[in-house]
Amino acid sequence: MAEPTIRRKTHVYAYLGLLGLTLITTLLAFLDMGPFNSVVALTIAVIQAALIAGVFMHALYETVLVRVILTGAVLWFLIMIILTMTDYLTRNA
Amino acid sequence: MASTTSPPPPDVLPGREELAHREHFATPEQQRETAMAGMWIFLATEIMMFGALFMAYTVYRLGHPLAFAEGSKDMEIVLGSINTAILITSSFTMALAALAAQEGNTRLLGWLLILTILIGLAFLGIKFTEYYNHYQDHKAPGVWFESNLSDRGGLEMFYVFYFIMTGLHAIHMIIGIGILFVLWLMTLFGRFSRVYHSPVIVCGLYWGFVDIVWVFLFAIFYLPGLHLHG
Repeated sequence: MAEPTIRRKTHVYAYLGLLGLTLITTLLAFLDMGPFNSVVALTIAVIQAALIAGVFMHALYETVLVRVILTGAVLWFLIMIILTMTDYLTRNA
Repeated sequence: MASTTSPPPPDVLPGREELAHREHFATPEQQRETAMAGMWIFLATEIMMFGALFMAYTVYRLGHPLAFAEGSKDMEIVLGSINTAILITSSFTMALAALAAQEGNTRLLGWLLILTILIGLAFLGIKFTEYYNHYQDHKAPGVWFESNLSDRGGLEMFYVFYFIMTGLHAIHMIIGIGILFVLWLMTLFGRFSRVYHSPVIVCGLYWGFVDIVWVFLFAIFYLPGLHLHG
């Protein structure tokens, strides 16, 4: 596969989107949403991470091998979180 | 192989032809894919390292919900979001630097690398100002730690995670700035061209990853702090 080149315009859109999301996530933190404050903050963080990885780091345009490596890393991280939480969240403190 | 008989591409610098395509790779494409796969595997190990810290943070936050909420209240959310915007800007300039390298525009590449270094230093300046303020407030874990919170130990653990995770991130930033400086020198000495520039792309991946880590650190340390909940 030839080297992926992403147009400048795509970079600019991603950059503006990331700045907008930073502003939104900061403003939303001022709203009292109870436990959903963390849910919203982490959801926006995941979207921002996807934008950085997908556009700035060209992950969307990379080879299947790279996508398998990235998926594997995220999958193993989720396995760690889920298996650990099945323990900690089900203990009778 | 065919590559030994074909003439070198016209934009390979004289005396630097070997950099475009090393002999143990069949094609320049294979060389590029190998570099990218290697870097992404390194980033996967970095996800493992930071992932374990995020995991530990989650477990302790579940155990000391009020102390962790109290700790987040001490964070300067405005400084945190400004720093997030600053780091995103540096990722943007780094991505543009990678693009300039692909186009063979080494003059632009040099300036964008310098710009990225300066923006990265601005981030570290704000971060270390925050550290200094926490230290002045006796919030650095250890013998000087002071708090009248009932769950004093929980708050201290919050600061242990805060300093270790943002500190490890800051170390990554410092290493990244050093790498960008070396890239800038290599650019000055004409090491990069439209054909050979994978070090720039690979370091851009590292810089982007460090930005992603910060986005999550911002979300777990700064954003929960405005309301007291478990």
